Amino acid sequence: MLQSKSFVKKTKQGRVVKVVREHYLRDDIPCGAASCSSCDAAARRLNADAAAILVIDTNVVLHQIDLLENPAIEDVVVLSVVLDEVKNKNLSVYNRLKALCTNTARRFFVFTNEHHRDTYIKEMAGESPNDRNDRAIRVAARWYQSHLGASARVLLVTNDRDNKRKATEEGLNAETVESYVRSLAQPGLLDLVVVPTSGDVTMEDVEDLRPSKRKVIYIEHKPMSEITSGLRCGIYHQGKLRVNRYNPFEAYVGSESIGDEIIIRGRSNMNRAFDGDIVSVELLPQDQWHETKSFIADDDEDDNEGDVRLAPDSADDAPRNTNSTQSTVASVSSRPVGRVVGIIKRNWNSYCGSLEPMPMPAGSGGVAHALFVSKDRRIPKIRIQTRQLGNLLNKRIVVAVDSWDVMSRYPSGHYVRTIGDIGDKETETEVVLIENDINTRPFSTQVLACLPSLPWTLSPEDLANPNRQDLRQVRVFSVDPPGCRDIDDALHCTPLPNGNFEVGVHIADVTNFVHPGTPLDEEASQRATSVYLVGQRIDMLPKPLTEDVCSLRADTARLAFSVIWEMTPDAHIIATRYTKSVIQSCAAMSYVEAQARMDDSRMVDPLTVDLRNLNSLAKIMRHRRCERGALTLASAEVKFEIDSETHDPLDIGIYQIREANQMIEEFMLAANISVAEKILQHYPLCSLLRRHPSPTKEMLEPLLRTASSVGLNLDASSSKALAESLDNAKRDDPYFNKLIRILATRCMTQAVYFCSGDMSLSEYYHYGLASALYTHFTSPIRRYADVIVHRLLAAALDIAKLPPIFQDGPQLTGIADNLNYRHRNAQMASRASVELHTLIYFRTRPVDTEARIVKIKANGFIVFVPKFGIEGPIYLTSKGDKGGDWVVDEVNQKVTKPGANISYAVLQSVMIHMEVVEPQPHRPKLQLTLI
Amino acid sequence: MEHVNPLTGFRVDGRRPNEMRQLRGEVGVVSRADGSALFEMGNTRVIAAVYGPREIQNRSQQVNLKEALVRCEYRMAEFSTGDRRRKPKGDRRSTEISLVIRQTMEASILTHLMPHSQIDIFVQVLQADGGTRSACINAATLALADAGIPMKDIVTSCSAGYLCSTPLLDLNYIEDSAGGPDVTVGILAKMDKVTLLQMDAKLPMDTFETVMELATEGCKAIATYIREVLLENTKQLECQRG
Amino acid sequence: MRDLHLPLNQTQRVRLEAALHELQTLAPAAASAAAVTVADTIPVNHEDNILKGHGTTDQDGEVVATLCGVVERVNKLVYVRTLRARYKPEVGDIIVGRVIEIAPKRWRLEINFSQDAVLMLSSMNLPDGIQRRRTAVDELNMRSIFEENDVVCAEVRGFQHDGSLHLQARSQKYGKLKRGQLLTVPPYLVKRRKQHFHHLEQYDVDLILGCNGFIWVGEHVVVNEITTFNEDQEKLSAEVETFTPMETRKHICRLANAARVLSALGFTLTIELIIQTAEASLSSNVKINDMLGAEFYVQTAETEAKRRADLLGRKKGGAR
Repeated sequence: MLQSKSFVKKTKQGRVVKVVREHYLRDDIPCGAASCSSCDAAARRLNADAAAILVIDTNVVLHQIDLLENPAIEDVVVLSVVLDEVKNKNLSVYNRLKALCTNTARRFFVFTNEHHRDTYIKEMAGESPNDRNDRAIRVAARWYQSHLGASARVLLVTNDRDNKRKATEEGLNAETVESYVRSLAQPGLLDLVVVPTSGDVTMEDVEDLRPSKRKVIYIEHKPMSEITSGLRCGIYHQGKLRVNRYNPFEAYVGSESIGDEIIIRGRSNMNRAFDGDIVSVELLPQDQWHETKSFIADDDEDDNEGDVRLAPDSADDAPRNTNSTQSTVASVSSRPVGRVVGIIKRNWNSYCGSLEPMPMPAGSGGVAHALFVSKDRRIPKIRIQTRQLGNLLNKRIVVAVDSWDVMSRYPSGHYVRTIGDIGDKETETEVVLIENDINTRPFSTQVLACLPSLPWTLSPEDLANPNRQDLRQVRVFSVDPPGCRDIDDALHCTPLPNGNFEVGVHIADVTNFVHPGTPLDEEASQRATSVYLVGQRIDMLPKPLTEDVCSLRADTARLAFSVIWEMTPDAHIIATRYTKSVIQSCAAMSYVEAQARMDDSRMVDPLTVDLRNLNSLAKIMRHRRCERGALTLASAEVKFEIDSETHDPLDIGIYQIREANQMIEEFMLAANISVAEKILQHYPLCSLLRRHPSPTKEMLEPLLRTASSVGLNLDASSSKALAESLDNAKRDDPYFNKLIRILATRCMTQAVYFCSGDMSLSEYYHYGLASALYTHFTSPIRRYADVIVHRLLAAALDIAKLPPIFQDGPQLTGIADNLNYRHRNAQMASRASVELHTLIYFRTRPVDTEARIVKIKANGFIVFVPKFGIEGPIYLTSKGDKGGDWVVDEVNQKVTKPGANISYAVLQSVMIHMEVVEPQPHRPKLQLTLI
Repeated sequence: MEHVNPLTGFRVDGRRPNEMRQLRGEVGVVSRADGSALFEMGNTRVIAAVYGPREIQNRSQQVNLKEALVRCEYRMAEFSTGDRRRKPKGDRRSTEISLVIRQTMEASILTHLMPHSQIDIFVQVLQADGGTRSACINAATLALADAGIPMKDIVTSCSAGYLCSTPLLDLNYIEDSAGGPDVTVGILAKMDKVTLLQMDAKLPMDTFETVMELATEGCKAIATYIREVLLENTKQLECQRG
Repeated sequence: MRDLHLPLNQTQRVRLEAALHELQTLAPAAASAAAVTVADTIPVNHEDNILKGHGTTDQDGEVVATLCGVVERVNKLVYVRTLRARYKPEVGDIIVGRVIEIAPKRWRLEINFSQDAVLMLSSMNLPDGIQRRRTAVDELNMRSIFEENDVVCAEVRGFQHDGSLHLQARSQKYGKLKRGQLLTVPPYLVKRRKQHFHHLEQYDVDLILGCNGFIWVGEHVVVNEITTFNEDQEKLSAEVETFTPMETRKHICRLANAARVLSALGFTLTIELIIQTAEASLSSNVKINDMLGAEFYVQTAETEAKRRADLLGRKKGGAR
C-alpha cells in the first residue's frame, strides 16, 4: 500500500541545504463519487446523478470563492494541489474553502491527488511550479474521467486560457467559469462571477462617469524583493495599517522599527492599502510632516459628513486627533509621516454597505457599474458590476474586494449577497452584527448535545459532593436590571453573633455544566461574550443554560460558586472563603424594587434589613475605594423603551444609576478582587486577569485643555489626584461635574484581559478601580473570561483539575486576545444598535433640546446631548466654506465671529434642534442644528 | 503549520496518522563484527555492530563479575543531516542516547549467561530524519540477535507525537521539530513490558495514554517485522549450511 | 546475503539467486520448520518432563527461545542450536588460537570465545620433551616457546573454578603453527569430527579445522616424536635457510581462498569440500586471486547445489 518516493529540495537558509523528504504514494485514496463502486463508500460526497463533476483550478477558487459558496455550485472536486496553492496565496479564501469542504450540506470533496499513485506527477525539466500544478490538475481530471468512466461527466473549470487549451487538446472537458455559470441558466449567479481584470475594457464605462480621466492615480507598488531589502536596510518600515475610524483619509502604521506610529495622510499616500493590511511604509521628508487644520471632516468632497453618533465611552472609540492642537504651536509635528510603498499582506474581506444612488443605465445588456459605499467608513468605495441594479439600489448588500488597479480611484469588487432593505431595523441590526464579526448562528447539535438533560433539577450527587456546601437555608437574594433572565450573581448578608457580618457573593456555577474541551466550551470560548443589543440578546451559552439551569432564579435550588467574607461593621474583610455551593434564592429583585425597599423606612422584614446592611457596608467600601484613588467615571448610557409589538423604540432616556446598582457593583468588585488574589497566588503564570493601563499624558491632554479653558485645574498625575480634582470640579451648573467626568472617561483606554505570565506584576494595575489586581469572576453566563477564572479558582481550591490549556502559554494569550477582541466588538455592536434605534426614534420625533459643546472645530463645534447620550457636529458655516469669518481660539477653546459678537466656548450650553433628514432617498441621517 | 491535513486526514508525506514509515532491516552488514544490522525507518537509516561477548578490555569497568558488561556507543555520521557538520564525539546528546540504548538493551540481554565478558554495541546514524533513537534500538536488537547473544525478548522502539490534536505515529524530522510532544516508547514485544519511555513536553494524562498506546502498537508492528527478518535469516543460514 | 558484498553483474546475480534458491529447496523442510528467533515459543509436550537446554528459558510456563537458531530435541532435552554466535567450547575440542598476552606461568589466547583462554605453562610439553617440574628458568623462557601473536594449536582442557577456560597442548601435534595462513570463519560452519588435522599430501599442506572457527592452512610439518633439544635447535637454524617452496605457497593460498569462498557462502567446511573447491578452481583455470571474484562464488554455489541435489537424488534412489 505504501510506496516511497524521495525527492530533493533546496532551501535557502543562508546556504544551500539538501532536504530529502519522503513522499508516499498510495492506492487507497477514495474518489468520493457515489457512482463509484471500487472506492471506500464512507467517503462518498459527490452525487451519483450529478450533471457534471467539477474539477476546479486554483485561480477559480482564489477569485470565485463567493460563487463557490453559492449553493447552486455542487459536486466539486477540490484537489489537494489546489488546496495547497490557495493556502499559500490567500489564507482567508483557504479558510472559506475549508469550511465549504467540511460542510456536510455541500457536496465538495477533497481529493488528495498528490499522494495518489496514479495522479502524482513529477516536475519536468524546465517546467515552472505553476505549469506543473496545472498539469497535475489536468492529470487528476483525466484520472477522474477514466476512473468513473461513462457514469459521470468530469468537467475541468478553469479561467486560465492556457490550461483550458491544453486540457481540450488532451481530450478533457474544460470550460471557463463564465461559460459554466451561463450554462446553469441562473442569471443571478452571474453577478457573483468576478470579471477578470485583464480585460478591463468594460470597466472604463464607470470610469467615464467620474470627472477624473483614466490616468495613473496611484504609485505602483514596489516589488516584494525591493520591499524586503528595503525593510532590511531600514528605508521601509513594516506594520499593520489602521485607518482612523473618524477620518478615512488618515491612517496609522504601528512600526516596531521606529517605535512610534507613522501617520499616513490622504488616499494617494495610503496607496490602495486597506484597514488591517500589513504594509511597508516609506517616511516622507520631515518638511512634509506638517499638519492640516482639524476640521470636523476631511477636505475630500466624497465623505464630507460628520455623523451624529453615540458619545464615545473611552479613548479607543474617540476620534484621534491628539496632536491637532500642537499644530498651532509648531507647524512641524514630531510624529513621522509616511506613505505606503507596498502591501505585504492584504486584509481584504467582504464588507456591508449599500450602493451609491445612481440612475438606472439604459441598455448595455442589463449590466451596470455601480459604486458601493461601505458602512464602515474606513473602507473606500468599491466598484462593482451588476445585472440587478434595480434590485440592489435600496438594499444593504455584502460586497467582496477583488483588485485595485493603479489606474482606478476605487478598488473593484463583486456582489456577494443581499441582506435586506436599507433602514429596515432587522437589516440594519444584521449589518451591525456582521460588521462586528458576531456569530449569530444557532448553536450546533454537537454543542446542544453537551447540555444537561432538561428540566434540570438538583441531584443527590451534587448534594453529596464534599466540595459543595449546602447553603439553601441561607437567605440569598439577587438584584438585577428589570427583566433580567440570566441572573448570574446573588448575595447574602447575615449578622454574626460577634457583631460582624457574613457576606456572600454567589455566582452561577457555569463550569459545572460547561466542561473544558467539549464543543460547548469551544463555542463559548469563540463567542467569548453575550452581546446585548437594544431589545435583543445574542447568548454566549445556549438558552437553556443562560435562562434556566445556570440562572440563579428565585425559589429554585441552583448550583453556585461562592465567595464568602466575614466583614466587620466598618467593612473590613477579616476572612475570605471560597466554595462551590447549592443556594436557593428567596427573591430576584430589580434595582428599583431593591431601592424602594431600602428607602421605605416602614419595611423591617429580614430581607430589607439585609439589603440595608449590605448597602451601608457598600457605602463604606465605596468610600474607601475612592480614597484609594478609584475614579468615579460617568458615561451617558441610554435606555430605550421598546414597543412590545413593533419592537420600535417608544422612549429614550439616560439610564438612571441608583444606590442599589452601586451596592451590587461594590460587592462584585470586591469578589473579583478577592478571586484575582487567590488565583494569582496559586497560578502566578497562567491566571487570567484584567488590567487597565494608566492613560498617557497625550491621552489626557484634551481633557486638561478643555478644563483649563474653563478655568478648572485638573491634576492628572495619578488616579488619586485625578479623582480628587474631579470631585472638586463643582460649579453652579449642576451638570458640570458629570460633564467633566464624561470627558475624563473618554480619555481612558479600555481595560483588557491578559495572561499573568505575559506581564510583570506592576503592569497588572487596574487604573480605573485603583486596584493592584482585578479579574472577572461574577458573570460566567455572559462572559467567557469568568468561566476561565472559575476553572482557575476551582483548581486553586483543589476541587477540579486544571485543564491542560492553562499550561500552554501562547494558547492562553490567544484566548485572552480573542476575549478582548470579542468584548470590544460586542461593545461596538451594542453602541451601533443604540445609534440605530436613536435614529429610528427621532425619525418621527424631531425635538429641541439642550446640548453641551464638547469640542471646538474650525467650522463649527461638536455638541453632546446629555438627554439622549448622543454627540454630533454643528456647522457654523455652510459646507465647503472653510472656517469662513469664524475665528478659532484653540487656547480658550472658543469660536468667535469678530463682527457679530457671537462666540461659543467649550462646555457652554446651547439649544439645538434634532431632526432626521434624508438628503438622499433611503439614506436617513440625524441632523443637529443650532437654534 | 498543518501537520495533518484537516480535510483529508493525511500527513504531509502522505501517511495516515497511525501509519509508520517504510521499514527495512538487514543483518550481517559488517563482516568484522560478531553481529551487525542496518535498520531503516523511512529516511532514517542506522547501522549497528555488536562485538562480543568478548574478554573485558578495561577491568575497572566491570561492576559485577557474574554478568556481562554491556557498553554502547551512539554516533551521528557527519553526513547524516542536511548540513554537513562535524559531530563531536561524546557530546551530551550522544552520551544520553548511548545510555538510553544501553539501558534498554541491557533489560533484555541475559547477561548472567556470559560472565567475565563484555558486549559492545556501536550504533551509527547514517541518515537522520527523526526517530533516530528508536531506529538505533531496533538496529541494536537485530545486531544482538545476529551476534547470537541470548535475550529475553525482542526489544523494539517507536515514537509517537501529538500534533494538530491528533496522535501521530513515527514522527519524521519535520514533525519532530514542530515542537509538539515526542513520546519514544521501547517495549519487550512478547512480554508486553515497557523498557523505555521518554517524553520531553507536557501532555495531558489521557492524551498521553492514547499517544503511548499508539507508540506501543508501532513497537509491536516493528517487532513482527524484525522477527520476520531474523527468521528469514536463520532459515537461510541453516539451509546453506547443508 | 551476508558477508557477500560483491559486484555482481545481472546474469551472475540471477545465477547466484537461482543456486541459493535451489539450496533452499533442497534443505530438509524440518530444518526450516525448526528455525526459531528470539522470543519464539518452542512447542513442547509438557507431560514428558522436558529438560530445557541452551538458548531456552521459561516464561509463564512456556519454553521460549532466547536465541535465533534451530530447535534440537535429544530425548527429553530441548535446546536451540545457534548458528551465528561465538565459539562454545567443549572439552576435547581442537582449537586454533592466537597468543594475546604472556602472563605469569600462562599464555592468554584469543579463541573467539567470550573470554580469553588460558594455556598454562604446566599444560605444555617442554621443548626438551622431558616431564619435570617447571622451574623459574622455564618461566623466564616462556617467550621462547610462544610469543605474542603466535598462532597456536591446542585442545580444550576444561573450565576452572573461577570460570576461566583452560587449554592444554601436551602432544607433539599441538604447538606453534608457522608458515601458513590463519582464517577465521563462523564456528557453526565447522563440525566436530574425529579428525581435525589433515595432511594433504598432494599439496604438501597441513590443514587444521579448529572447532572455534579458526582454520590453519600451512606447510606440512614432519612430526618427530623423539627429537632432542639440541637437534631441534639445529633444525631451527637450518630452517632459516630452507624457504617454503613457491608451489606449496600457491597451494596454501588456493586452499585458503577455497575455504574463504565456502564460508562466505555459508557452507559447512569439510575437508572434502575444501579440496573439491580448490580442485575445481584449478580445473577451470581460475587464478588464485580470482577465486575471490564474483564469478567463482557463483560457480561454487552452483556446484554445491548440484552436489547436494545429486546426494539427495542418490539417497532417494537408494531408498527406492
